[in-house]
Amino acid sequence: MSASIYRLVYYSRNHVALDEVAFAAEVDDILAKSRANNVRDGITGALMFNAGCFAQVLEGPLDVVEAAFERIQQDERHGEVSLLTLEPIERRSFPNWAMGFVGMSDETASRFAGVAAASGFDPAHFDGNDLHTILRNLALEEERQAA
Amino acid sequence: MKQDVRHNPEQAVTSSARILESLQHPVLVLDAAGELIYANATAAGSFGGWIVGLSLTDIFPDYLRSPAAGDHPTSLRLTTQKGEAFEALLSPLGEGETCVSLWPAAAVLDERTPERADDLTGLALRNPFMAALDHALAGADNRAGSLAVLCLDLDRFKVINDTLGHGIGDQLLKKVADRLRTACRREDLIARFGGDEFVILQRGITGVADAERLAARLVDLIGRTYVLNGHTVNVGVSVGVALRDAGLQSRDLLRNADLALYEAKRAGRGRYRFFEQGMDLQLHERRELEIDLRRALALKQFELAYQPFLDLSTDAVIGFEALLRWNHPVRGKVPPLSFISVAEENGLIVKIGEWVLMTACMAAASWPGDLIVAVNVSPLQFKADTLLTTVSTALERSGLAPERLELEITEGALLADTDNVLATLHSLRALGVKISMDDFGTGYSSLSYLQKFPFNKIKIDRSFVSGGGADSEAILRAVSGLGSNLGMAITAEGVETAEQLGRIREQSCTHVQGYLTGRPMAPDQVELFLQEQPIAQVTN
Ligand SMILES: Cc1cc2nc3c(=O)[nH]c(=O)nc-3n(C[C@H](O)[C@H](O)[C@H](O)COP(=O)(O)O)c2cc1C
Repeated sequence: MSASIYRLVYYSRNHVALDEVAFAAEVDDILAKSRANNVRDGITGALMFNAGCFAQVLEGPLDVVEAAFERIQQDERHGEVSLLTLEPIERRSFPNWAMGFVGMSDETASRFAGVAAASGFDPAHFDGNDLHTILRNLALEEERQAA
Repeated sequence: MKQDVRHNPEQAVTSSARILESLQHPVLVLDAAGELIYANATAAGSFGGWIVGLSLTDIFPDYLRSPAAGDHPTSLRLTTQKGEAFEALLSPLGEGETCVSLWPAAAVLDERTPERADDLTGLALRNPFMAALDHALAGADNRAGSLAVLCLDLDRFKVINDTLGHGIGDQLLKKVADRLRTACRREDLIARFGGDEFVILQRGITGVADAERLAARLVDLIGRTYVLNGHTVNVGVSVGVALRDAGLQSRDLLRNADLALYEAKRAGRGRYRFFEQGMDLQLHERRELEIDLRRALALKQFELAYQPFLDLSTDAVIGFEALLRWNHPVRGKVPPLSFISVAEENGLIVKIGEWVLMTACMAAASWPGDLIVAVNVSPLQFKADTLLTTVSTALERSGLAPERLELEITEGALLADTDNVLATLHSLRALGVKISMDDFGTGYSSLSYLQKFPFNKIKIDRSFVSGGGADSEAILRAVSGLGSNLGMAITAEGVETAEQLGRIREQSCTHVQGYLTGRPMAPDQVELFLQEQPIAQVTN
């Protein structure tokens, strides 16, 4: 029981100023905080930003995932949080990512911009599995580039 | 001036009385027998008006007169009958008289010390909250709008407690408390008054805008999804807000916030409302209505009127819908729309519904042939768990054949606790009773409800009949088509003109009910009405 790992997927509306510098600073802050907390808690996952939305996957033991989600819920930097998936999983999809921000490297950013432009990407149109897959593919891409 | 005072004792007395009267904290004077011989205005206001002549124990039941009052000032803690705590300083005035100065205890004690907090959430309890509110109102900052009281009530909390258990319910309350702390500032005091009732004192604000910002934030934040032990839980919160205004005491402010909360809930929950003048009047009127409604059954002020419905294939009357009427001696005929919601709010609808069922079955048993009586059943009656018994008792006592009773339910009945409701519906069906879906097209109109239970009949709301537009017609046709495919009869309600009747006939509706085919009538008119009608008698 204690070993079972859960996956939580949600998306939300970003409330952060859309000015690029301020936004980058906020994201840096969120990521720094997330990585520190998540390493401590044994949480892994990925975060994505696009078109005024955040989408995030969190993986880890249920109690810490719940606690992290509660903190995230209380964060004023976003709102209208839609929880898509909360389920036990066999293995982590982001074992090496305390919290990866996907869509940052030039390559994925442009790829991602393509997705956004072509299909009017909006997380609201995806379910938890879709989002999870998109985030995982983007993460794999970034790992390959880094390697 | 000082010299004047010294030289004119009379004037000294009046001015010191005036000073005493103007003090913002209560001051009392006791005589040697322990009786109150003086109370300043604040004391009179705090302890219920004319208190001179009472003893100190009348006001503070926990006051034990010390054996020897002595001639030293003593300080002690006193609590009123209502549980408001005060720090008291008793100083002897000579000749056995004692002056008692009082300060709300919250002014002295930390509001958050553990024994004064709610065990589950760590929030303040009612008494310290009220003391703090008194204190804030007595404080230096007395601008209107300088403080706000917010009353909060969780929406759907009871359902969550009932379905997921108290353990999850408690966890939820803790997380709610946590979010309240996140939304509030240090200066604010948050209390839990019990259950899922929370109250916030917002201090040192500049006016409506500050209170509104907090209220909006609370509705957003508390309404966000919770994850508890792997369960996803959604609750909303309703908020009532009242701002400080000249002359308002703690109790008034709290009551105003509560009235506003009541309006927020009535407006559909999950929102905030500010107190407005007149809300108390509205509530008062609803209370009066409620009192009258409670008496109405005993005083036999209810009546049933019966409206015929026709089978379109034979154009014959095949039954009547029983419609509830309330004749109040002063109010006159009260329309159902204005009292059914009140009866549902306070649960009276269950008793009223029992009366309706019994009365309608009795009436129908006296009708000739196989005429059906249709009776409306409120979603609340399903919740009460007594519906099945009520129906079978009514059938037994009246001797009415079950096939002649038709129960009309609305989609609302299927919204919550669907499985239990379906089980009840199946048991009713097993008795032989007919079940129809009423007012179809007004609520969620989810077709899935039609799939969940094999209704005998769907009653299409009058708005689609009277509408007459292309849209209404298309919907009418779609629903009646669907109904006939599912083997359900279709009644078109509210048919008033021959032209409407003509359209209805073309659209595979099977039954019709409306002014055109017969108005609601008193029970004693039914017989005469039937004599003038060709009745489709089932021939054996
Ligand atoms: C979109 C978004 C994603 C976040 N993801 C995480 C996360 O994965 N882990 C985390 O601890 N905090 C995350 N946060 C930050 C939390 O909301 C919160 O600020 C933080 O957990 C507080 O940590 P502290 O209590 O240690 O100060 C996220 C915030 C936002 C807006």
